[in-house]
Amino acid sequence: MDFEPTYTPEQEKFRQEVRGWLKDNVPDGIFHPPDSADVAAEQYEKRRDLGRRLGAKGWLWATAPTEYGGGGLSLDHAVVIDEEVDAVGLTVPPYYDSGGRLGGASIMVWGSDEQKEKFLPPIFKGEVRTWQLLTEPEAGSDLANVKTTAERDGDDYVINGQKIFVGSSLGCDFMWTLTCTDTEAPRHQNLGWFMIPWGLPGITVQPMDLLIAGGESGAGSGVKNTVYFDNVRVPSGNLVGGENEGWKVASTHLELEHGSGGRIGRNRLVDHMFEYCRETKRHGQPLHKDPDVRDRLVDMYVEAEISRLLSLRNYWMRNSKARLTYEGPQASYVRKMSGLRTANAVLDILGPASLTYDKEWGAGEGHFEAYQRSAIVAVHPGGTADIQKVIMARRIGIGREVREQAGALA
Amino acid sequence: MDLSLTAEQEMLKAAVNRFVQQEYPKETLLELSDSGQPAPSAPWQKLAATGWLGIVIPEEYGGEGGSFTDAAVLFEELGRGPVPGPHLTSAILGAFTVLEGGTDDQKREWLPRLATGERTLVPAITEADYSWFEEDVGLVARRDGAGFRLDGTKVYVLNGTSASHLLCTARSQDENSVGLVMVPAGAPGVSVRPLAGFAWNLAEVKLENVAVEQSQVLGTSLAGGWDALERAIARSIPIFCAYQVGACQSVYELSVDYSRSRQQFSVPIGRFQRVQDHIINLVNKLDAARWTTYEALWKMDAGRPVDDAIHLAKAVGSDAYHEACNYAHEVHAGVGSMTEYGLTLHTTASRTLYHYLGDPKFHRRRLADALGL
Repeated sequence: MDFEPTYTPEQEKFRQEVRGWLKDNVPDGIFHPPDSADVAAEQYEKRRDLGRRLGAKGWLWATAPTEYGGGGLSLDHAVVIDEEVDAVGLTVPPYYDSGGRLGGASIMVWGSDEQKEKFLPPIFKGEVRTWQLLTEPEAGSDLANVKTTAERDGDDYVINGQKIFVGSSLGCDFMWTLTCTDTEAPRHQNLGWFMIPWGLPGITVQPMDLLIAGGESGAGSGVKNTVYFDNVRVPSGNLVGGENEGWKVASTHLELEHGSGGRIGRNRLVDHMFEYCRETKRHGQPLHKDPDVRDRLVDMYVEAEISRLLSLRNYWMRNSKARLTYEGPQASYVRKMSGLRTANAVLDILGPASLTYDKEWGAGEGHFEAYQRSAIVAVHPGGTADIQKVIMARRIGIGREVREQAGALA
Repeated sequence: MDLSLTAEQEMLKAAVNRFVQQEYPKETLLELSDSGQPAPSAPWQKLAATGWLGIVIPEEYGGEGGSFTDAAVLFEELGRGPVPGPHLTSAILGAFTVLEGGTDDQKREWLPRLATGERTLVPAITEADYSWFEEDVGLVARRDGAGFRLDGTKVYVLNGTSASHLLCTARSQDENSVGLVMVPAGAPGVSVRPLAGFAWNLAEVKLENVAVEQSQVLGTSLAGGWDALERAIARSIPIFCAYQVGACQSVYELSVDYSRSRQQFSVPIGRFQRVQDHIINLVNKLDAARWTTYEALWKMDAGRPVDDAIHLAKAVGSDAYHEACNYAHEVHAGVGSMTEYGLTLHTTASRTLYHYLGDPKFHRRRLADALGL
């Protein structure tokens, strides 16, 4: 067993190249406040610009094939890019985007050649930002119950309905979504998966007022929105996977969203908390010397290590083409519940200073306050914790002779 | 990065798996549990004959010179039984202690015999003031000519009744040191008494005016003995953890199988989400134990700094086995409490291993130390 990526001299050379490039290309003023709802348009533009420049280098979606605008690089190179971008406090991409990891991955598996050529290069080059539109008022955990309709009319589909918990602040270029293409057909055989350009007539976007915007997609998304479709005409060429075949397309991004992608990385909040407790004095001694604080810091550390290792295992399984069963939803479930326990530890250690971002009386420049809220909200996107358990049970085959298979990944 | 086992390790895993199924079926495990004497016994002799007890002992001392991960592969499969006996205590912790603290002569005398199982050297560490700290060692070693006289009582000695020799921590007031003494279990003044109840092969060991020669002291003197033991414990913990991982895996498989076969309300009980929750909690504990253990093993084999990973693995692993059994009992309800079903073999082992070499709270606090808190 080897838990560490082994770097060849060539990779180390590549690391120096990436590091140097980031030094020259990450502009000042790109970092947004702890609550990404406060992200300014100027910061977002800087992030998009960095994304385009990463895309031009083939470093935005490094392992995506070059024929579709990706970097065509090995996983080992992608790891180096991830690590170096992480080291400067950013993510790849440096803004909320559901195009490359989820939407693009689904198009790679289910799209026609023509669709791949049309939709993928702008995504993988960072020219467009893409939102996912899945949840509806009547379709949360029961996603297959979507009521948004797509009705064929000539060469177009006409879309009507409402999607919630969508996207980010500051708009997007494309939206991918799951609709009902046949209201009479049985469940799972009645859906259609579309790529929809931003700005078509009949689309209205309205921000939601939430505890905090949570998401699974790296960089903070800012806000979440309600998106209304009122007789929106979408060309039939934008239907991916075929009419009434939307559920199988969704199985790919749902699989990824349920944690099967895995990742290499640490929980920065835990590092931040350790640092804070070493530097802050209470009752005349550093906070981390208090026995109760020590116990809770270790609780946080253990939680973070378990989550890190389960994600690392998934990352390795996926990239070595091992057959995943329950591991994806397990990592997701453990991470979500561990986030709540970690927030509780922070609350124990800091007390009410973890509940305000007041400059004088809040702790950690608002990061801990934002975490108190985001730990709660993060339990639900991409399938609630309970839904992750339902999927685990099917994949393990609890009470069943036939075990459910994982969705297809590129 | 490669989280898979090597081809040789996969072969070893399969061989041990077959061995455990053949030599330690449930009926045998239940008999050994009843007798309270897992070794020597017929299956133990067969285990010793495989040579596997020498897995961590260097080849120059008659062992296999395996890596930590090799040993973990072996013990993960033994844990599935759970196969009882002084394998972890003697062939791992005992052998590592001799390697860490013994003289060349002692290594040559002891290690080949531990590898074949001809002798078993079982550590006897804790006492009435129960703890895993040096300051709580009270067994008295009194100078007597060229040797010592030992007086005191060791308790909760895992595999105490299966030991040919006991490796006792002892304190010398004159020399102001805590060291290690190897005492034959049959020596005059030594009495070993099993502790009845829910304990898993635990014993009391009384030493009354036991005469030992200088050559029975591990190393050249008592001084340095405790440090050698601590280093050996650190090296042994990930292998103990692997045993717990295999045990959790076995408890998990029992529970999944039962969820499919047991019918109530005309459906398999696994169709109920309440029941599913127990198995999901169980597999989450299992995998937490597995991957913290594997990372610690890798760090040991790769020569990386490992203190934090060792404490993490033991804190997580001992909690996992304990909780895995509790969840399995929820799945099995009344059937799980019937001795003949076999789940209680694990439940019993899980409680004793929870404490052995330090409980989760002990290791969480040591982890805080290792993290510089």
